[in-house]
Amino acid sequence: MTHLRFTIYDLRAVPSTVRPSSIVHRQCAGWLLVLMLALFSAGAQQRFPPPEFESGHKLPTATEPAARGFLRQYVDVAVLAGSLGLATWLAYRKRSRKAMIALSLFSVVYFGFWRKGCICAIGSLQNVALALGDPNYALPASVLGFFVLPLAVALFAGRSFCAAVCPHGALQDLVLLKPIKVPDWLEQGLSVLPFIYLGAGVLFAATGSAFIICQYDPFVPVFRMSGRALMVLSGVALLLLGVFVGRPYCRFLCPYGALLKLAATFSRWRVRVTPTHCTQCRLCESSCPFGALYQPQAVETEPRILRTDRRRLGLLLLLLPFLVTAGVFSAPVVSSAMARVHPTVALAERYLQEKDSPAKIGVLSPDDLALERARQHPDELLNQARVIQRKFKVGSWIFGGWIGLVIGLKLIALSLHRQRTDFEPASGACFACARCFAFCPNELMRRGVTISAIAATQAQGTKEVLAQLEVAK
Amino acid sequence: MKDDSDPTKSPVTRRQFLRDGTRVAALTGLGGLIGLVAGRSSAQGTVWQIDPQKCVRCGNCATHCVLEQSAVKCVHGYAICGYCQLCTGYFEPEPNDLNTGAENCLCPTAAIKRTYVEDPYYEYTIDEQLCIGCAKCVEGCNRFGNGSLFLQVRHDRCVNCNECAISKVCAGDAFLRVPASRPYLLKTISH
Amino acid sequence: MNDENLSRRQFINQSFRSAGLCVLSGAAAAAPGVALHAAATSATSPFAYDVDRLSRIDPKLLVYEQIRKISGLGAEPRRIAIAPQNRLYVATGAGVDILDGEAGKVAEIPLSAPAQCVAVADDGTIYVGLRTHVEVFDAKGKSIAVWEAPTEKAWLTGLAVGANDLFAADSAGRVIYRYDRSGKMVGRIGEKNPDRNVPGLIVPSPYLDVKLGPDGLLRVNNTGRHCVEVFTANGDLELSWGKPGLAIESFCGCCNPVGLALLGDGRCITCEKGLPRVKVYSADHTLEAVVAGPEQFPDNGRPGQNSNRRDGTLGGLDAAVDSSGRIYILDLVAGDVRVMKRKS
Repeated sequence: MTHLRFTIYDLRAVPSTVRPSSIVHRQCAGWLLVLMLALFSAGAQQRFPPPEFESGHKLPTATEPAARGFLRQYVDVAVLAGSLGLATWLAYRKRSRKAMIALSLFSVVYFGFWRKGCICAIGSLQNVALALGDPNYALPASVLGFFVLPLAVALFAGRSFCAAVCPHGALQDLVLLKPIKVPDWLEQGLSVLPFIYLGAGVLFAATGSAFIICQYDPFVPVFRMSGRALMVLSGVALLLLGVFVGRPYCRFLCPYGALLKLAATFSRWRVRVTPTHCTQCRLCESSCPFGALYQPQAVETEPRILRTDRRRLGLLLLLLPFLVTAGVFSAPVVSSAMARVHPTVALAERYLQEKDSPAKIGVLSPDDLALERARQHPDELLNQARVIQRKFKVGSWIFGGWIGLVIGLKLIALSLHRQRTDFEPASGACFACARCFAFCPNELMRRGVTISAIAATQAQGTKEVLAQLEVAK
Repeated sequence: MKDDSDPTKSPVTRRQFLRDGTRVAALTGLGGLIGLVAGRSSAQGTVWQIDPQKCVRCGNCATHCVLEQSAVKCVHGYAICGYCQLCTGYFEPEPNDLNTGAENCLCPTAAIKRTYVEDPYYEYTIDEQLCIGCAKCVEGCNRFGNGSLFLQVRHDRCVNCNECAISKVCAGDAFLRVPASRPYLLKTISH
Repeated sequence: MNDENLSRRQFINQSFRSAGLCVLSGAAAAAPGVALHAAATSATSPFAYDVDRLSRIDPKLLVYEQIRKISGLGAEPRRIAIAPQNRLYVATGAGVDILDGEAGKVAEIPLSAPAQCVAVADDGTIYVGLRTHVEVFDAKGKSIAVWEAPTEKAWLTGLAVGANDLFAADSAGRVIYRYDRSGKMVGRIGEKNPDRNVPGLIVPSPYLDVKLGPDGLLRVNNTGRHCVEVFTANGDLELSWGKPGLAIESFCGCCNPVGLALLGDGRCITCEKGLPRVKVYSADHTLEAVVAGPEQFPDNGRPGQNSNRRDGTLGGLDAAVDSSGRIYILDLVAGDVRVMKRKS
């Protein structure tokens, strides 16, 4: 994994994070470097001259098409901020599903098909992890903006990002046509996956091995309309699944969604199904296609069951540190396998394996060529590999402990009882998609819809109800 | 009980307090993260590029780019070229004849154009629309000739992925990030 | 409510089951991806440049065997020359290394700039060609004189010394300079001259070499035209022989041969790059024997990788012959000298 290991200063453009006093020093350094290069090149870097053409033919020069401008990244952050604000407003004040769909379409078109889904907030967490793990890596400000803004909004207003701003989420939301309910046990079990994926993504990114979230992103190949066959197929498969199962990637895979879930659990304001108060009429019970609606729950009163519940909770609380420790101790088993993801470590291991075999001659595959390169500077390679393997050892302890922690906390959360009197969206899991609003009679009253129309929409088949209404007239 | 005046406020106050506390801690954490990461080092916006000195012509550039037609193309260093009649970057190892016939050309997509300059010099140019970045000509040129053909990432095509898919499989570890203001590492001498 | 909800234990069991299922299915999904990726880099690229079939030499031609290898030369060696008492002189990036055929490196002449070529006269005078001038040393290594090339843009890559002349091959100027022993330039050989039927030297890369034969004729490698041209000291072209091609009897690639050496009876030894091979041609310019083939120089066939050379050379070989007919091959990439003796 190669990242720029040194900082380069352009004498014309000043990076946005540079403070004014340091500009002067950098300019001096720049000129000194140019002077040194000039002196150095005069002596050593001589080129054997091309032939002199009698006809005076002039040599052409290679073209250098410029890289795309970087202003667009800041425009993207601005659009992100605006969309987040709009999505929040739509969920809290306007409370309109239609408007949310329109914003989703805009996000799919702008962030998805036009910007090709990159740089995205989901991937940005890897850049942040790498910045924390590698002091030489300079995190672009716009990427940091992509990471921080949705989280900050989630801390105050919930997962507005997921609602209609994230192109992945918006795409899945738009293809959801016939939602089926995922059984509770499956949903709870799979909900641990995003946290594990998050841990793995951070681990591989911080060690500089791979950006696995980018590598295994199923929807960016769809937006880009090109990519590895496996990834394009998986994207299409997830979309097909998403026609029936609501937001499969968001609920069961998205690592950034895990962070947003945590943030939204502590948010200042919560999306409510009802604009005023809940009458427990149960009309919104099956309104959420994502299983993110809390049902009213009474506290267990029977002493026998209560005792069992409390004992279980106590056991699980005691079990938690053991789970974490188990995770930490079982990590080294996989740490060397995980380290092999890093190309340097993989090459070093191959080099050690084939150290004594003779050099291959003839037509060489890319792997053979890499091995040849390893044979030229083996010590440097082995040192680099050792450093990375050490990083993985420490990282895998943390990762193992994290998995143990996640599973333990999940079990505890499942065992916790909380009295609820209203139907309200789940704090962490609600995507603020505004689907459930239309099921609530209070909401419909707010919108000024008549009682008979309410009855009509709540009935099973809209056509037959309208026909009944026709008959009733 | 429900607070009718502000339906968005949660009714339980102790829980609210804990939530507020955790939120403040999270915000502080985010702020600290920003400070830590932003103050460390600053650099210009960067793009991907190939170091032609390290390239081993493995052929992965043509097959691993996420774009259908790879953003990596062959570039010609005209000042390094020998303008040979028998160019080993242009011709197959054993051509039938030294002409532009397709069976004699090395390039699988006929992206190299051969034009006569004067006896016995010929000029070779790359048509980027056709080039797939397979490095066959680069290998021929570097093996027998002056090494004036080399691969470069072309920035009118590259989408600047967060992690370049080719960089992960580059056999020569030749991919690096360079400043966007100077995005090319052109060969100036044959090395 | 109990008949709708599962008991907690069942719930937890099922959660673990589902989690396990997910891990398994994830692994099942990832496995083909990993396999595909592994296959993609371990299989030979469909765009591989294949000259492998030409690496094998017919064993009937390989009549020389390697008896020794001398290592420990200075960085970036370029040319090798034979001196009286069969001493070897190698021009390197740091100066001139003096080797003994048995003992290895015995001395060196350090220089401020890289030495491109070297030749030693019968009386022991050492002529070292740097890029734009020739430095003359006596047999003990003391500097006698410096002869400048006529132009700043010269790039001397070959030297041959006779009884009264020194011939310096300038790759950039595509010409051979003729100096007398006092340092005065008395002639130019090899330049394009239609009146004298001299087609001109085509030199795409700095490998022009010149050797003086026992018959007083110069052998010059016209690399761009894949032939060896024989000139008189006055610049008349006597004959040229050689043809391009990858076959063993031809000169491969775009510019070969890159080095010349002459046996005692004037037969020519040629060194090539790209497909690194050293061949002996008979007196009627047909292939007689192959001293060493590409399989003996595996690194030389893949130059330009992590190469730190700054002299425009990408690989190559050079050769010198001593009085007993042993051939010394200098490998520019590996930086060693192999001693080849004819098999009995």
